[in-house]
Amino acid sequence: MLALIDLHKRYGNVAALAGCTFQVDRGRMLGFLGPNGAGKTTAMRTIFGLVTPDSGHVTWDGEPITTDRKQRFGYMPEQRGLYPKMRAHDQLSYLGRLRGMEPRQAAASADRWLERFGLADRRLDRVEVLSHGNQQRVQLAAALVHDPDLLVLDEPFSGLDPLATETMADILGEETARGKAVVFSSHQLDLVEDICEEVAIINAGQIVVEGDVRRLKDAAPIRHLELELDGEVGDLFETLDDVRQIRSEDHGHTLIIDANTDIRGFLARAQEVGRVRHFTYTTPSLSDLFLEAVR
Amino acid sequence: MSQLRTMWQIAGREIREHGRSKAFLITTALTFLLVAGLVVAPGLIGGGTTEYVVGGVGEGNEPIVAAAELLGNASDEPDAESSVSLKLETFDDREAAEAAMELGDLDAILIDGREVVVESVGGFGDSAVLSLLQQGAASVELEAIVTESGQAAADVIDVMTSDPLETTTLSGPEAGDETRGAVAYAGLLLLYMAVLLYGNWMLSGVTEEKSNRVVEVLLSSVKPWQLLAGKISGIGLLGIGQFAGTILVAIIALRVSNVVELPTLDVATVANLIVWFILGFLLFAVMYGAAGSLVSRMEDAQNVAFPMSMIAVAGFFVSIAALSDPDGPAAVVGTFIPMTAPFVVPVRAALGAIPGWQYLLAVILTVGAIVGLVFVAGRIYAGGLLRFGTRVKLRDAWRSAGT
Repeated sequence: MLALIDLHKRYGNVAALAGCTFQVDRGRMLGFLGPNGAGKTTAMRTIFGLVTPDSGHVTWDGEPITTDRKQRFGYMPEQRGLYPKMRAHDQLSYLGRLRGMEPRQAAASADRWLERFGLADRRLDRVEVLSHGNQQRVQLAAALVHDPDLLVLDEPFSGLDPLATETMADILGEETARGKAVVFSSHQLDLVEDICEEVAIINAGQIVVEGDVRRLKDAAPIRHLELELDGEVGDLFETLDDVRQIRSEDHGHTLIIDANTDIRGFLARAQEVGRVRHFTYTTPSLSDLFLEAVR
Repeated sequence: MSQLRTMWQIAGREIREHGRSKAFLITTALTFLLVAGLVVAPGLIGGGTTEYVVGGVGEGNEPIVAAAELLGNASDEPDAESSVSLKLETFDDREAAEAAMELGDLDAILIDGREVVVESVGGFGDSAVLSLLQQGAASVELEAIVTESGQAAADVIDVMTSDPLETTTLSGPEAGDETRGAVAYAGLLLLYMAVLLYGNWMLSGVTEEKSNRVVEVLLSSVKPWQLLAGKISGIGLLGIGQFAGTILVAIIALRVSNVVELPTLDVATVANLIVWFILGFLLFAVMYGAAGSLVSRMEDAQNVAFPMSMIAVAGFFVSIAALSDPDGPAAVVGTFIPMTAPFVVPVRAALGAIPGWQYLLAVILTVGAIVGLVFVAGRIYAGGLLRFGTRVKLRDAWRSAGT
């Protein structure tokens, strides 16, 4: 299990991390969310010792992370980087050896991953001649080539087309099912909601929401309400105690409301105003939770 | 996995990728060709016969020209093509001969065997023919004197063209100071070129990893010092290989063309050169590596490397001074500064002008400096590698690695 425990890191006057704590178990996938500059990349770098926190620590199975331990981790940094002039296969096999694989084993694994990504016929191409999407695939393969116990991926979905996104999501799912711990950051909240059981939301260097996505949604103090109504709303919404957000478009209205709202009473009042054509009352989406948490 | 193995993996990649890059193969081939050409070319150009045409006015010119030609060829190998040929062309009067010289047909004019006219005395070819004619005239005069005393003319010429004294050196038949000085000078030049060339490989290799961001992937599984040490070892070995190849080509070319006798070297001189070659290379490679970690773009790399190049240039000049004055203050001071020692000490040692304690102290100081620099550079490297964008200040790199 990976655990980040009360990490603090300042750069001059900026607090990049201010008490960042979360954990990921083997066989679980955690979506790591947060606005730009909230500290996602800094937190991920501390796992690899690329950033040394001012205080707090990172552990794997309760033990500090040593160099040998790090060789069982895979990392895909936000700033993609491979040797542009090195052949795809050589590159992967080199990174495998660098993390302790025997040469033959590393070469075989490099081939396996290239095949898995549909790049078997490009294995002797230099990375610089590959398309952006293919470079991204090689980059992910570079994080996977040594069959790590933990995968840390910084924005793995950015810049991918829908097809590539699906492949990437499939592979992350498979690796999780094979017992790896997976952490990835993303801004695509719908996607995260689809594929992750767990999320952690960081804001201003602090984890503000963390846990199982479904339980978080159930426990959220807000609900998502959609209403389509013939006729003027008038002061209908003002009868609600705590409206967090209203978005209206013609006759359709989307509201984020307090979870304790008397929803039957509200529906009754709405029906007095006009014919209710559509009414849904659900737990909030991950987007709703995210906006609520970082606002 | 052992940490050294990781380092060798990195070194191996440097050797493989650098070694098969077009740039490397082309520069290596060009260097080999250039070196072979430089060695062989003077033999080809210098070979053959240099021809001079001498205009003669009046009497008594033939014996002088004949003697001059004989003297000019005196040091030729037997059976070899003669190196100088002098042809005499007779003119009716001085004016006609001078007119021919103005047209460039003549190299010199002899008048009645007593006066010689050349275009100018500064020119290279002119002085050669002038001095030949002077010597020729002298030997003709000598010949006249000895002929009167009844000795064979040829003997006189023989005596004049051979070394009358047998030469012995105190150090025995091994290379004399002069050859050792020449070897030291050649070694110095090679070291200077190697420092700049391979230092720049180091610099661009480190900057390249930073500019294409692969460094973050690497550092997620290896330590900065392993990366630095692996790069230095890889580039160092490849560089030493290229250099050894170049020297081998030069030696083969020398053997084949037979232009210069190869000096016989004693083990001490060679060991001395190799030790300082490695020390010098390591010292500068570490510095160049640290400098490379401070910048993210190739364009900035040369700027941060400038101070290092200046140090190498300074070391080179101090050691040139040491060649002519191996005991002088510049040479002694340069011995104890680790940045200049790799240039100065081998020169002084080759000339036999360095006391044992100074040599030992210089080695200790330089090795100490390398160890210290590895620590300092390793920290700068670690602090500089993950800071992208603008050039990182030395102090910031140092600090950010420390926290």
